[in-house]
Amino acid sequence: MHSRHLSRSTVARPVALGNHTVLEQTAFWQRVHGLRRALAAQPARRMALVCDDSSWFAAGLLALAHAGRVCVVPQAPQAGSIIASGAHIDAVLTDRPVDFAEFATLSVTGIPPASDSTPSLPDDGALIESYTSGSSGMPKCVPKTFGQLRREVATLEQQWGGQLGDALVCGTVPHYHLYGTLVRVMWPLLAGRSFVTLTCLQAADLRHWAAEQRCVIVSSPAFLSRIADLSELPPAAQIAAVFSSGAPLPDHCAERLQRDWGHAPIEIYGSTETGGIAWRAWSGAAERPYWQLLPGMQAELREESAGPRLWVKSGFTWQSDWMPTGDLARWHTDGRLVLLGRADDVVKLEDKRVSLSEMRTRLLAHAWVENARLLLVEGRRRSIGAVVVLNATGRAHLHAQGKIPTSRELRHWLRRSYEPVLLPRKWRFPETLPDNDMGKIEQSRLQQLFASRA
Amino acid sequence: MNKLIEELKQLIITSLDLEDVTPADIDARAPLFGEGLGLDSIDALELGVAIQKKYHVKLDASSADTRQHFHSVENLAKFIEAQHST
Repeated sequence: MHSRHLSRSTVARPVALGNHTVLEQTAFWQRVHGLRRALAAQPARRMALVCDDSSWFAAGLLALAHAGRVCVVPQAPQAGSIIASGAHIDAVLTDRPVDFAEFATLSVTGIPPASDSTPSLPDDGALIESYTSGSSGMPKCVPKTFGQLRREVATLEQQWGGQLGDALVCGTVPHYHLYGTLVRVMWPLLAGRSFVTLTCLQAADLRHWAAEQRCVIVSSPAFLSRIADLSELPPAAQIAAVFSSGAPLPDHCAERLQRDWGHAPIEIYGSTETGGIAWRAWSGAAERPYWQLLPGMQAELREESAGPRLWVKSGFTWQSDWMPTGDLARWHTDGRLVLLGRADDVVKLEDKRVSLSEMRTRLLAHAWVENARLLLVEGRRRSIGAVVVLNATGRAHLHAQGKIPTSRELRHWLRRSYEPVLLPRKWRFPETLPDNDMGKIEQSRLQQLFASRA
Repeated sequence: MNKLIEELKQLIITSLDLEDVTPADIDARAPLFGEGLGLDSIDALELGVAIQKKYHVKLDASSADTRQHFHSVENLAKFIEAQHST
């Protein structure tokens, strides 16, 4: 795994399984080399990779890296997100049958595979750019080298490779977030395991794959905490490991999965910038607060006004130097970490970080919007509530068309930049924002707007 | 079939806590996800759970393609009817 050429033992299993399709090693590497040749002939230096099929995503990433092109992975696979990210790109590499009107579009399926099928990895210096929500109001670009991805995969393999064996890797998380890119795609690819090309959206999809072979499930609390009937999941005996990342898994959920299903998820704590930092699995309520650092990860606490902030350093952190996390922490006596909560005001929704100030900025750019505030609204499902003051054009539309078409238009606008799960689900259109006698807009008065249906 | 379609529309509204939406706002043939009603992947999962519970159907594990059933209200109704007639 450390050499540029993969070992012989890893070339036995198919690279990926799709719905009624099997992608063998030979065909995969012929694709990579075919793409690499086509990309080398292109003037584009920086290309956005927008692929729905994980095997095309993997081939595209390797080919871009091989060809010395910067691989830009947009935060959400929408053209609007590419533009909003502020990323300078020259073209889009995609498996979708559509043109991205704003950009030169290169279709992966239109490029003939090469005859060369030698498995070979790109130089460690090749750049892959991921995006994550920054606290400053704009998406934050996180450039990583191929070497950093490779080293993080090596750490995961060192920690869990033996447990995984030759299990098939299935993901309920998208491959365009770095956690998915690494754990769902790059790890199986580099370790010689097969992965499933589609995201498993239902527990039934997991049962389907696990019916034939042992599986690894790469998931998140958004999925795992919503399985009402555990018999919808594959039998625990068919599962080599379950990974959960993005946010802490609620205690009762981890306990229930262990007790009633027979498998405690391995939770990985980390971020796009730092990569995986530490892990835990259910082993009783008393052990719950403690996180074990991953091999090779260094951590220290630096005192701030908000409390002790966790800083980390490893072979795969961004810039390979000490960097701050968004979390406060303390040490347990045995060297494990206890997390004490977020140090900043970016919120987490369905395991994804989202900056409300950034979303507000996007909303204000719409032609109907005069002012807006966004806030987290508790309910059957925690979601973002939008309080929007419309201008004359917007108000005219609201009166003529009604509330649903108005909120749908604004949702549609935000969809250009955000994944659907992050979009506001509740909308209020007051004439003015509720302010107090000091002219300050109070959070509690905004919350009151959502206490009952408007 | 029509009765089932109306029931499903109501189930979608209540189980997903959709504000302001009435059954008349939901086109039985329009895509539930993305452009149409604008449901997301979490909605898909919760709707799957609600439908299996209410109609005592099992999502078919012999095909990974459950997406087709969830395309529209009409497809969901066809899927449930097919399950009940077997």
